[in-house]
Amino acid sequence: MKAVLKKMLTAMRGSVNELGEAVVDSQGSRILEQELRDSEQELKQAKQELATLMAEAASLARQIGEESNAIERREQDARKALSAGEEDLAREVAERIVGHESRKAELSQAREGLQSRIVGLKERVQRAEKQLAEYRRELQVVKTNERVLRTTAQIDTNINSNQSSLSTARETLERIRERQAREEDRQNASAQLEKELTGADLDEKLKAAGIDGEKDAINDVLARLKGKTDS
Amino acid sequence: MDTQSLILSLGDATHAGRTFNVMPVSGEDPVLQIVVSGAEETPVYLTVTETQVLCLVYLFEESEIRASALPELHESMLRISVPMPLSALGKVEDHYVVYGALSPSSSDFEVRQELVTLADNAIDLLQTFEDFLE
Repeated sequence: MKAVLKKMLTAMRGSVNELGEAVVDSQGSRILEQELRDSEQELKQAKQELATLMAEAASLARQIGEESNAIERREQDARKALSAGEEDLAREVAERIVGHESRKAELSQAREGLQSRIVGLKERVQRAEKQLAEYRRELQVVKTNERVLRTTAQIDTNINSNQSSLSTARETLERIRERQAREEDRQNASAQLEKELTGADLDEKLKAAGIDGEKDAINDVLARLKGKTDS
Repeated sequence: MDTQSLILSLGDATHAGRTFNVMPVSGEDPVLQIVVSGAEETPVYLTVTETQVLCLVYLFEESEIRASALPELHESMLRISVPMPLSALGKVEDHYVVYGALSPSSSDFEVRQELVTLADNAIDLLQTFEDFLE
């Protein structure tokens, strides 16, 4: 991932040509997609191989079990022959046992070899899966980058063909201020209307002229109280 | 989610008292220009990829910034980017942008929330960074 990010940053610094147009590196994701497919193929193969080996190991285990059973059975036979005094027959059975034992040893050796190959293959599968996840992550970054560059190029072309040009931040700010001023005017106007409807504006005018109903009432009460104390 | 269904669903939608004016931007990829009411000056551009819904607003061009103020602007942008709701600051070629990325499985509500927040954030950011302009 580090390599991909570094490559991308280098491309970003140098990818804007004299006309200010982006030079999109469409090779980047194509190479990664190929690597991804190769890695997927490798994983698939390793998994198939692993399945075959595990089936073989299971089959060997079964055969080893069969040989063990045969040995046990023949040992019983040999003991019976010996107790019956049939020395020659017992010898013949012992020869069979030797045959079973050597086959069992061969099979066990094959199975051990198979087990170590299985362990190695499992490691290979894990590595391939990790590699695959890494490629997918890289591909996502590269593809998103390409899309963002294409999208902005598309927006720029479109705006340039529809309007004279992309408006500058100063122009945008001016329009924002105009709208905000309009909104403020509207708010003030509706607040004014509210006052007129409730008669609050008339109360304000009366107050300004020194006519305040509430104040007068308070003064009246005070005057009345004073009058009472005086008398 | 795709841009076609967004054109249909956003056209009649409102979100916190805001409406959306949607216009496709012609070209190779599906891109929409979305104007949010009450933030008409900062249109949001939206594109849908396999892995995300990308929404972005242009703030200013590098050439509009006083060259001597660039390091301070960058520092300020990095610091302000983290606490800003649902949006991050970035640069695409010479455009400084504020953007938000959503999962393609986002609901209509989440997309509207993102669009409104992004357009409002863009206005606040422009006014915040006005002093850095040439």
